[in-house]
Amino acid sequence: MYDRMQTLTQDQMTRIHDAAMDILGTTGIAFNEDEALSIFKANGFKVDGKIVFITEAQVRNALKTTPSRFTITARNPEKNVAVGEDDFVFVPGYGAPFVTLTNGEQREATMEDYDNFCKLIQTSKHIDMNGFMMVEPSDVPADTAHLDMIFSNIILCDKPFMGSPVSKQGAKDCVDMAAIIWGGIEKLKAVGPVTVSLINSLSPLQFSDEMAGSLIELARANQACVIASLIMAGSSGPVTLSGVLALQTAEILAGVTLAQLVNPGAPVIYGSTSSAMDMKTGGLSIGCPELSVVVSATAQMARFYNLPSRSGGGLTDAHFPDAQAGVESTLALTTAARNGINFILHANGILGSYISMSYEKFLIDEELCGITRRLLKPMEVTSSSIDVEMIKAVGIGGQYLTQPKTFQLCRTEFYLTDFMNRQNHAGWKAAGKKRIDEFAVDRLGQRLAAYEKPDIDPAIEAALTEFVTRRKKG
Amino acid sequence: MAIQDIFQAVMTFDEASVKKLVQAELEAKTDIDAILNEGLIGAMDEVGKKFSEGELFVPEMLMAAQAMKSGLEILKPHLAEGAAESKGTVVIGTVKGDLHDIGKNLVAMMMEGAGFNVIDLGVDVDAAKFVAAAKDNKARVVALSALLTTTMPAMQTTINAIREAGLTVKTIVGGAPVTQAFADQIKADGYSDDAPGAVELARRLIAA
Repeated sequence: MYDRMQTLTQDQMTRIHDAAMDILGTTGIAFNEDEALSIFKANGFKVDGKIVFITEAQVRNALKTTPSRFTITARNPEKNVAVGEDDFVFVPGYGAPFVTLTNGEQREATMEDYDNFCKLIQTSKHIDMNGFMMVEPSDVPADTAHLDMIFSNIILCDKPFMGSPVSKQGAKDCVDMAAIIWGGIEKLKAVGPVTVSLINSLSPLQFSDEMAGSLIELARANQACVIASLIMAGSSGPVTLSGVLALQTAEILAGVTLAQLVNPGAPVIYGSTSSAMDMKTGGLSIGCPELSVVVSATAQMARFYNLPSRSGGGLTDAHFPDAQAGVESTLALTTAARNGINFILHANGILGSYISMSYEKFLIDEELCGITRRLLKPMEVTSSSIDVEMIKAVGIGGQYLTQPKTFQLCRTEFYLTDFMNRQNHAGWKAAGKKRIDEFAVDRLGQRLAAYEKPDIDPAIEAALTEFVTRRKKG
Repeated sequence: MAIQDIFQAVMTFDEASVKKLVQAELEAKTDIDAILNEGLIGAMDEVGKKFSEGELFVPEMLMAAQAMKSGLEILKPHLAEGAAESKGTVVIGTVKGDLHDIGKNLVAMMMEGAGFNVIDLGVDVDAAKFVAAAKDNKARVVALSALLTTTMPAMQTTINAIREAGLTVKTIVGGAPVTQAFADQIKADGYSDDAPGAVELARRLIAA
């Protein structure tokens, strides 16, 4: 197998690992959360104030109990997914405060947008999981928004979903709501992960109280967590990518260690969306080639530790689903998929360095996910697939269009698109000369019209409604 | 024209030369205001302009600011009482609940480079602390930064607290999710989407 993109050698990975261990052992890492500190102390870790020092032996001990692959159970068992080793999932954009309009303007996102994205996930052929905070709804109170989002995740879609890491209480709410579906907390723990939540470090070398608290709560309930760094090379981390990899590894492994102390075997994912700071503006760039270099190295470092990996997907700095968005998103998404990332977050919808979601780009990127899966589908090479006899029978200068095999496979052998233009110029002109973003506007309406709410036990829905109402009252 | 040399030394990020040249001008009894305004601050204005045009990069801008500050340190003991505050004092910080400070630090450095007296309160600063710092330092501008939409409401809280305390200090806001529309909505006096813009804004508001 030859691929020019071989980012790191085994020796280089070892050097990055050694640097990370040096950082954790001598500088340590700050956990701004009391329970996290007491857990570390109770397990004999050296703690000084809020700073925890972690030895290589302690990290290796934690890595003994981390699963390299796990299943995320959906309330509709047909939609269970596996993450790790050869299995990967596409998961939608995350955390955008704005929605991009068809004229390139932005508006604040609402709960209606959030629900629309849940519906689009439900009807998606290519997106495997529902997200969390796909947009930040501005029209519901911020302190209870996570309840509304988790509720929509469960009710509007029967795929597995991302959980809430907004705070310790927010994570607990998410666990309690999942427990309602699976018949109590003990049963939920036995089922294992039904959610995956995104725990971000605060680079360099810190975990906020919300994130550390959420991690503890979720690990305790046997729910999966992505532990991820978003280092801006040159500002919140070293300017060199090898330095970034050492720093992110230190941060991620500290989180992994905490999760395993709470619950040995808790599913965790080595995550990174580290990228470069744009030196001209001081802003984050996620459309740059350095992001994809880090994606590749992240996949390798995760395998080095036998952990599943997470990176970004269809990422761009463009503010409109234009050619720049297409180029940058394709680079990042295909790099993630081809390099073996297991949990591809932000697979679709993101514009403008995470600031906005676009319905049109959501659909374009979704198509890219389908294309990428096709790209990676193993090729069948058998005597029946080569079919030398048929080639001999057609012989020199014949044609294959009327061969029975062509007839049999004409609908299944190739990737079918009803999205990308395949018409000739005259046909494209006759259909209104539509750009792909304009075509996506029409498609969006059709998709939302075709949505059907998945079945759910009315007693579960009532219990969830009651839970959210009660929690909102405080 | 030695003041021009100071200007040039800042433009070429040459801290050692800035120090030496400022010291030499002091000894030559050159007008201190000229050294400050035409040499040091003048250079930083040019730096800000070149940065906005994409010609200078962030780390270069910060190196220039550092060179400028080292010259300013030498001048300070010789400046007339209050001259250092002549441009005005700016209180700056990241609002309550928000721990992100990259952008805020950039603005603080640019403000210092422009000759403002900057009081940096750091991150996760509550409204009362902003009010107290603005009062105690007779600030002309309070600059609020936020990266998270969840902490943007704290900008509103802070501005309200400043008004309730009866301060006439100008308030400016910035950060990735912050927009002009949001600034108008919370009745901030100004908004900028980048650091040099924030400096211009502060100048305009103080001059107004």
